Amino acid sequence: MENGRRTAFARGFLAVMPLWLGVVPFGIVYAVIARDAGLSVVETQALSLFVFAGSAQFSAAGLFATGASGVAIVLTTFLLNVRHVLYGLSLGRRMTLDGWRRPTAAYFLTDEVFGVVAAKPSPTFPFLLGAELSLFLVWNLATLGGAFLGAAIPDPAKLGLDLVFPLAFLALLVPLVRTRAELLVAVASGILAYAIAQATTSGGIPIVVTGVAGSLLGAWLTRGRPGGEQRLEDAIREVA
Amino acid sequence: MTFWIVLAGMVAVTFGSRYAGLALRADLPAFWVRFLHFVPVSVFAALVTPSLEGGLGEGEIRLVGAVVTVLAAWRTKSLGISIAAGMVAFWLLRIPF
Repeated sequence: MENGRRTAFARGFLAVMPLWLGVVPFGIVYAVIARDAGLSVVETQALSLFVFAGSAQFSAAGLFATGASGVAIVLTTFLLNVRHVLYGLSLGRRMTLDGWRRPTAAYFLTDEVFGVVAAKPSPTFPFLLGAELSLFLVWNLATLGGAFLGAAIPDPAKLGLDLVFPLAFLALLVPLVRTRAELLVAVASGILAYAIAQATTSGGIPIVVTGVAGSLLGAWLTRGRPGGEQRLEDAIREVA
Repeated sequence: MTFWIVLAGMVAVTFGSRYAGLALRADLPAFWVRFLHFVPVSVFAALVTPSLEGGLGEGEIRLVGAVVTVLAAWRTKSLGISIAAGMVAFWLLRIPF
């Protein structure tokens, strides 16, 4: 039993190995950006250890750099991570997680792991945990590497390195835009955020307001299409 | 200090979202499933435009860098290559000829 359990853990750990290729550069770029935004090595690493959510960590780093309020950063994080409710709903229906297993599974849950586990016919907790810890370990090692790399860059402001923020979000955005509705939401959100940013001094408010308005627009534009599982499968392929 | 309070808030909303789905046994209305699908598209776009111009009057060449990044991201889907391409274009245009 103990041996079989270990095997399932190891299989889960190895099942997400192909994803390391994507996670490593993502983690390094995140850490460089976070350091560039003025976060210390410890703070950069703490986000990876305790939040462990790539896109939210990216946006937080960008928002810290613009001096956004803490409330705006937390609200943006919530907006970006509330999709995990979907993954939990799906996983909870397919496997029994009781006692300490439920919070543990929840803490390390990511898009990638959900994608891998959702594709398995009958997933078990050890398999899930193996996959989760595999990505957690690699994400944090990549963060550590990137944090020290970022520290080696002299005088980021003079080099115009703040341009890395909008470029990074553009590079994250482009692969997500595949339909006309997604393109429309992206363009409308860009314009709206720019307009609000001209009118306010807070770096975070435009993001939160636009995130809600843009997503409402998208949901409205795609009304009357098959909801439920189809869109859930789409959601799986979102960013980490 | 402020950082750690913000971090605690980020952990609360992130872990809360991850835990809620596993603990709840209900279906989300289709409208909100579609809403969630558009959140990354909308938020990422909103993070681009306010900081694109910069404060040094280099708006035009930064915009060129952004266009290069979009093209690179569209062709390669690689985060690292796309950022590097845009930054190199920006730095080249920055050289006073």
